[in-house]
Amino acid sequence: MAEEKEMQNQGRGTVQGNEEGVDLAALMTLRARTYGMLSRLFLKEVDEKTLEELCGMRFPTATGNKDVDEGYRMLFEYLKLSWDDTVRELAIDYVRTFIGHGVNGYSAAYPFESVYTSERRLLMQEARAEVLQTLRENGLKRGSWTEGEDHVALELEFMQRMSMRAGEALEAGDEDAAIAHLRTQQIFMRDHLLNWLPMLVADMEKFSQTKFYQGLAKLTMGYLEEDSSVVDELLEGVEDEAA
Amino acid sequence: MSKQTMEDVLDFEEEFDPLAVDDLEIDQEDMDDDNPLDTVDYPTMRNMPESMHRAGVYTPETQGSVRQAIMELFDHNPGRRPILMHIVKMCGKEGASASAVAASVDELQKDNRSVYAPMTLCRMLERAGALTLEMPETHEEVEDIEEGVEYLEIKERIDPIWHATEEGLAVCEELSQGAVFRDIVLDRDSKYLEVYRAVMEALAEKPRSKGEVDELVDTFDIVKKPRRFGGHFIDILERADAIEWKNRAWTITDLGRELLPLTAPAGEE
Repeated sequence: MAEEKEMQNQGRGTVQGNEEGVDLAALMTLRARTYGMLSRLFLKEVDEKTLEELCGMRFPTATGNKDVDEGYRMLFEYLKLSWDDTVRELAIDYVRTFIGHGVNGYSAAYPFESVYTSERRLLMQEARAEVLQTLRENGLKRGSWTEGEDHVALELEFMQRMSMRAGEALEAGDEDAAIAHLRTQQIFMRDHLLNWLPMLVADMEKFSQTKFYQGLAKLTMGYLEEDSSVVDELLEGVEDEAA
Repeated sequence: MSKQTMEDVLDFEEEFDPLAVDDLEIDQEDMDDDNPLDTVDYPTMRNMPESMHRAGVYTPETQGSVRQAIMELFDHNPGRRPILMHIVKMCGKEGASASAVAASVDELQKDNRSVYAPMTLCRMLERAGALTLEMPETHEEVEDIEEGVEYLEIKERIDPIWHATEEGLAVCEELSQGAVFRDIVLDRDSKYLEVYRAVMEALAEKPRSKGEVDELVDTFDIVKKPRRFGGHFIDILERADAIEWKNRAWTITDLGRELLPLTAPAGEE
């Protein structure tokens, strides 16, 4: 994230980063990695392997975004005290946070967009149909996924895949394709992730009892806001050039 | 139900075709308008009761005291009690590392698998007040500066120390002296004393299956009415730590051997 920040600062205003010595393809790869990590943490409980990987991470301290810094700090504070019981503790907190034990629709931070965007807080509503359509339009299939496609992990994974495609397009010198992928991300963030994530992370902070998931909430929100402004500026630069 | 009504129901059912639903044509406003539950005023997340989670059952708060919480925990987990007591004794006041406790419990449970992981058992004891957890001091945060960007890194995983509490050790000591055996076998259930003695003598001779214990118990008239099966005596003796399930058979424990003479008729002890 900190590396991204540095690159973003250097590369703002244009997608033709290479001309200014900024490797935007690498920036896209870093974005994809961050989205991939966030997606994994929302997808299911942390297992031993993931915990090992998280403990091997470096946690940036000053990215320029308060929520991102606080999120990373909370993850670090939690993970530095991880031990034999951590996987179990996180599994409990995952269930407490995202699944809950009530049936009233208000007992957890349900990780589905439909719950937050339908009046009666139901699964499989209009938001899911829209996300499904976006996935289809971009040639993505659900694979072994058996739940609603508007799960936050899938929406973050979509961002990951679009970032990867943008990076690959830049490496191949196909700037138009890269811009198209960035526009897709911009629209998707505006219409979906940024539309409901604030409510999800607020509920995560309410229901989770570990610094891990509270930190994940802050990190995710902060990162999305930061990334959204970066994508906006990159595309504004393109429009300015075209004008 | 009249014929007409039944047909109506069937007609309605036949109209429903889930495969005909095109999920891309879902109209949220239509769905909301159609549903009569819209009139329900759902509580918002912010005004839900704070305490939605249930408190632990075997805690000093719910049981009245640390001692009672530990006793209840042991009493309601007869199959795990030897392991729970082992953990408390192993930790002692000096403490034992979590990794050492986990390794020891895994070894002890190899013949008697549990759905509880070692640290889950430790957490149960902690909630009851039999253990406390000491988290070691973590090393100074390591800040790595690379290309002007500061990072925090975790250099090593910690291994916390479990300590037994005074109350935990006291309860284990008490139970190790056969308190439950004296209370149930020699007092409250003493009318079956000869049956208990026969079962313990049989198991002292060699480990036996439940079927063999059932056969032995059925030879006593006193178990005919009210009917008592071998399982009752196994349960009580296991709860009293006089027998244990080991190597796929019921086996008398060292404590059971010590207590066996107490079951002898007066004058024979």
